[in-house]
Amino acid sequence: MRLAYWMYEGTAHHGVARVMNSMRKTHAVFHAPQGDGYVNTIFTMLERTPGFPAMTTSVVSGTDLARGTLRLPETLRQVEAAQHPDLIVVVASCSTILLQENLEIAAHQSGLACEVMVYDANPYRMQETAAAEGLFTELVKKYATSQPLTPMPSVNILGPSSLGFHARHDLISLRRIFKTLGVAVNVVAPWGASVDDLRRLPAAWLTIAPYRELGRLAAEYLEAQFGTAALCDAPIGVQPTLRWLDAVVEQLNTVGARLAVPPSPLKLPPLTEFSLDGMSAPSNVPWFARTADMESFSGKKAFVFGDATHTVGVTKFLADELGMPIAGAGTYLVKEADWVRSQLQGYVSDADFLATDEFQQVADRIGQLRPELVCGTQMERHTGRRYDLNVMVISSPTHIENHLLAYRPFLGFDGADVIADEVSTTCTLGMEKHLIDMFGDAGLELVESPSVPSADPVLVSNGKAAVAPVAVVADVVKPTNGHAPEGQPSNGVASSAGAPTSGQATPAPVVNPVWTADGEAMLKKIPFFVRGRARGNIEKYAREHGIATITAEVLLAAKEHLGA
Amino acid sequence: MPPKAQFTREDGIYHSFCGLVSVGWLYQKIKDSFFLILGTHTCAHLLQNTMGVMIFARPRFAISLLEEADLSSAQPAIADQIAEITREHHPSVIFLLSSCTPEVMKVEFEGLAQSVSTPEVPVLFVPASGLDFTFSQSEDSVLQALIPFCPEAPPDDKRVVFLGSVNDAIADDFLFEASRLGIPVAGFLPANHFHELPPIGPGTIIAPLQPFLAKVANQLTNDRGATVMSSLFPFGPDGCRAFWEDLAAHFDLKVDLSEREAASWARIKEHTDLLKGKKVFLSADTLLELPLARFIRAAGAEVLECSTPYINRRFHARELALLDGVRLVEQANFERQLRSIAEEQPDLVISNIITANPLIGHGVVAKWGTEFIFSPIHGWAGVNTLVSLFTRALRRHARLDPLGNDPVWMAGVMPGAPEIIPLTRG
Repeated sequence: MRLAYWMYEGTAHHGVARVMNSMRKTHAVFHAPQGDGYVNTIFTMLERTPGFPAMTTSVVSGTDLARGTLRLPETLRQVEAAQHPDLIVVVASCSTILLQENLEIAAHQSGLACEVMVYDANPYRMQETAAAEGLFTELVKKYATSQPLTPMPSVNILGPSSLGFHARHDLISLRRIFKTLGVAVNVVAPWGASVDDLRRLPAAWLTIAPYRELGRLAAEYLEAQFGTAALCDAPIGVQPTLRWLDAVVEQLNTVGARLAVPPSPLKLPPLTEFSLDGMSAPSNVPWFARTADMESFSGKKAFVFGDATHTVGVTKFLADELGMPIAGAGTYLVKEADWVRSQLQGYVSDADFLATDEFQQVADRIGQLRPELVCGTQMERHTGRRYDLNVMVISSPTHIENHLLAYRPFLGFDGADVIADEVSTTCTLGMEKHLIDMFGDAGLELVESPSVPSADPVLVSNGKAAVAPVAVVADVVKPTNGHAPEGQPSNGVASSAGAPTSGQATPAPVVNPVWTADGEAMLKKIPFFVRGRARGNIEKYAREHGIATITAEVLLAAKEHLGA
Repeated sequence: MPPKAQFTREDGIYHSFCGLVSVGWLYQKIKDSFFLILGTHTCAHLLQNTMGVMIFARPRFAISLLEEADLSSAQPAIADQIAEITREHHPSVIFLLSSCTPEVMKVEFEGLAQSVSTPEVPVLFVPASGLDFTFSQSEDSVLQALIPFCPEAPPDDKRVVFLGSVNDAIADDFLFEASRLGIPVAGFLPANHFHELPPIGPGTIIAPLQPFLAKVANQLTNDRGATVMSSLFPFGPDGCRAFWEDLAAHFDLKVDLSEREAASWARIKEHTDLLKGKKVFLSADTLLELPLARFIRAAGAEVLECSTPYINRRFHARELALLDGVRLVEQANFERQLRSIAEEQPDLVISNIITANPLIGHGVVAKWGTEFIFSPIHGWAGVNTLVSLFTRALRRHARLDPLGNDPVWMAGVMPGAPEIIPLTRG
């Protein structure tokens, strides 16, 4: 047992809900206490669903347990009557699975006309990703039917799903690419697919499964069972997209050549045709990366942490296409750690690679590295705020702020532009920074205020502060302003020194240096937006040199030492 | 015996949260507390998605995570975690909350809490499992756990204790109002700090501020002989008048607040004009629904239905009496409610947060009920906030262009539901 504050992955039943809510005429039924239906909110609030998510809780209460009541058959009848689904997937919860009931029999008793599948997702062995991938693969195995290929080249796109990271945008990007290539999309799944669509999967010439987390196993199954070629790379960045396009064309032409009446081979059209207006560069990244302004990025170190697909794709993109040094990378999908590590050979050393699903370990690593850019999940944003670091979100889990309206794919040429924009607006300041560094705060001092996070989670909306506004503000401000009460470790130090979950060696002995007035005054001259980081670096310098008091002199020495 | 109010009980297939969400406000209210939930990944995922922002504040709540290997052990070992929490957070009290899985495992929580409790840092068991508790209900459990720590008041200590967690501004408002009426106040349960709990004894009048605290009120009578005031809850001009007049009567003070009430209604006339004759349907899950329905009805609206997780005939007696003729439903069936909404065409639906966006997507003007829990709607000072919560959705909807009624503007948002059939006509 351990203390947990944050989870990277959702639960197994959340994974099931994501697949069911992606598909048409399918429905998830949770055999669970009523509160387990909270996953609904994640869909209705983050995705702002105008319909009711395809999930219903068949309530199990304490009274039901005492009386031996099983409400599942009745719930299933109600769901069928109201939703008319083709398929209902029943899943137990972390509590009801311990009851070891036979849900198959209960489901059968309901006497439904539609198909009912009891999905065995043990929440103690499986989390969101494995449950979603497992269920989707099982559905593809169940429904995919052998049939002739489409007469013209076509692809399946497997993986886009409800609450998938920028999934809707990625799908638009992929559809644009296939339209430009003149290749038909046979089936997209699970996004918008019915069980009939799953039956049609083997008609495609090629299956695209860009996400390591969802769709890959189904693509591999289709290849093994029906000979449908599979392309499981993620086209993240310009170079990977170009290679991916070559692979798409080559694989489709290989299939075409096998046909009795082959259509004429596909050719890659001029690259400008992939742009939005059909006459420009398909991506602005290669030129952008070479501009003078981007020079200042070449020394900025980045730390990347997320799911498998995005950690690999974004790390390579930053290194290969923007020329940024990689301070470290890792994934919370511990089961995918070997794959991610092997993909990042040459980018990240084993010592700089982190595979953990414990939030505090990631926070500690970031605290030690103090990179100029953190690419992570919404949790790393919290860590970034604590250490005053620049953070961009590149992977689930997300936050309402990541669910924006404009087209923001991560895949394809369009995606490369989006990621590069995000990097440059997150890191801020090229030439501008030199000016401010030269002349001090340039009158910006007045702008300084403690950063306060937006009140934002799903349930706790604006009114939260109404309960105890003082507590909220005080708690929030404390970690960011760096002034800890006497006898308390100051912000960043607290967690790296005190966190018991950390597997990292912490520098010992930990002394928390004290600032003198002239030291503070000198620190004030450092531009406010880098001041927090400077404070951290100087304190680190002081600790490493056994200095207990930071005077102006120490600050200058530290600046010199750090080359700042 | 309280009058036999008419309500129906359905099968409870609606969307809601479990009692653990109460932690979201209680850990902030009791400032030197820590909430430890013995639970699973599911509990952690719930809290993360409902209270996500609080991580930033070094939250004073955490999950003691039950993993597969822990399922076989008869009694979970939490001593190390309690030590860690004490070391890192220095709480004055730790609440140990149950959840569904340990409940099914039949963990003996009382004993577990006792085994790690010390006189310096008591560890108090709080039943909160989703098998038995919904949403705000577990505040009731937390307050029950605090009773033994309230000093015993002597029989001649005749003062009021306000029951329910409210923020400091509301508390000040109630203190001020009480002193104006000459009502002596012993304090609030809960107080802001563990060691500030009010003395409670046979002379104490308990004035419930929240409608979800029936059990603790009852227990205060049983354990301490305190008198629980039966009145309206202090929401809206009508509720506040009844609340204060009834409370004053307990202290043999004759108070007539009719002018105060009239002035309060006059101040929100702009809102009540808008609400007059509007058809309102309450389908929320916070347990505030009965007093909200009573208020909105007094404000001139027609309440088509008021559903709420639980109705307590005695604790809610006065509210129920004023809701005579309104369709009251306990443990509603949400699909049935959707059919009723389609049939009866409400102007406003107070829903829970889970269903608000989909209801709006179906052409319904919906307001999420959760916001009432997190807003200062108590007392005279809260009247404007309270009524504004009802009218904001109506006003905003009226102001927006009519484009939103065309399903084309929702196309592509929800992959599994390409066509949404509106519940509303025109």
